[in-house]
Amino acid sequence: MNMAGSYAVNLDFEACKACGYCRLVCPRGVYREGPAFNRKGFKVPLVAEESLCTGCLRCFYVCPDFCLDITPSASGAVREKTL
Amino acid sequence: MDRLAVKYLRPRKTPSTACSGCGLGQVHKKILLAIEQLGLGINDIVWGTGIGCSGRQTFNTWKGDNFAGTHGRVYALATGLRLALPEDKKIILTVGDGDAFGIGLSHLLHCARRNAGITVIVADNFGYQSTGGQYGYTTPQSRVTDSSPYGLTDPNWLQNGLDILNLLRDAGAGFLARHLSFEGQNAVESIKRAIGNKGFSLVHIIYPCVTHFGEISLKTGDREAIFRWFENLFDGRSGDPGTPAFKSGIFHDAVGARPEFSAALKAWTSSLRQKENPRA
Ligand code: SF4
Ligand code: SF4
Ligand code: SF4
Repeated sequence: MNMAGSYAVNLDFEACKACGYCRLVCPRGVYREGPAFNRKGFKVPLVAEESLCTGCLRCFYVCPDFCLDITPSASGAVREKTL
Repeated sequence: MDRLAVKYLRPRKTPSTACSGCGLGQVHKKILLAIEQLGLGINDIVWGTGIGCSGRQTFNTWKGDNFAGTHGRVYALATGLRLALPEDKKIILTVGDGDAFGIGLSHLLHCARRNAGITVIVADNFGYQSTGGQYGYTTPQSRVTDSSPYGLTDPNWLQNGLDILNLLRDAGAGFLARHLSFEGQNAVESIKRAIGNKGFSLVHIIYPCVTHFGEISLKTGDREAIFRWFENLFDGRSGDPGTPAFKSGIFHDAVGARPEFSAALKAWTSSLRQKENPRA
């Protein structure tokens, strides 16, 4: 079973175009409105709750700009135990 | 860049120049995932296009061989390439609805008739969006567009009993599927089956043009509203009888039922040579 806390959510800040689809489809509320703009002027979402990610990949499939990667995190197992 | 982009796309071309929220990148990503999951590399694929948003943003980002044909003529060019290239080299074309279902339709049908070993991905944004949002052959009925300010009266290929995929099936296509760009692995599976088919395959993927179709036809720039409108096309939940309704998945699968064009032509040529010159 996919476990929360086992995944790293990597968002390429400069490549993001702030469409917001990742926020829209994430069932776990991992993303939030971000505080900062990138060099192209897009207000990039914030990966606010990475530890809640279950690795479902919904955000990965809808990100149109190749700027999201969901990878099993090395420290995930440890984090899971401390929940 | 994500790992797919690092592996397959030219860094100078990434991120693309597509508008924020354009669904084309979602189509593009699914093709790359299919390529990756089939274990194919840069040198296994020649990537071509016709013209428009769907071509411009995809073919020349590919690290391997790629080419742009003329509008609507890429199917004929690719048929020639099919003859010239080794059988295991895959040809993938990313084209738009205007190119495939309008300007190039005749060439496309002949490609299907010949069962040429080509995978066509039609990234459909419901019209001519790169030129400002004029209507095309899949623009939903009655919609206001840049070229139909009082609403579209022309029938399209997707409503009122017509389906362009029926035409392609009757023309002899071996594999046909339809998806929405927001979909996940199921769309990737269709593309894998299409690329794996030695004959002609086409996957029709509908995606949102947020800038022109969104602003002019849906009268909103709100990404969530546009996302939901497109999602509902596939769930039959639009509630509007004038809006097209689609089923996602495989439309027709007759992979392997007919000989592939280039293989058949090469076999016939070599049998002729044998006959004419048996000692050669
Ligand atoms: S993989 Fe799933 S749970 Fe994790 S951030 Fe993406 S959508 Fe949310
Ligand atoms: S889906 Fe991708 S491009 Fe869109 S806001 Fe999220 S990370 Fe940025
Ligand atoms: S004009 Fe429309 S289809 Fe073209 S890149 Fe922009 S959103 Fe995409």
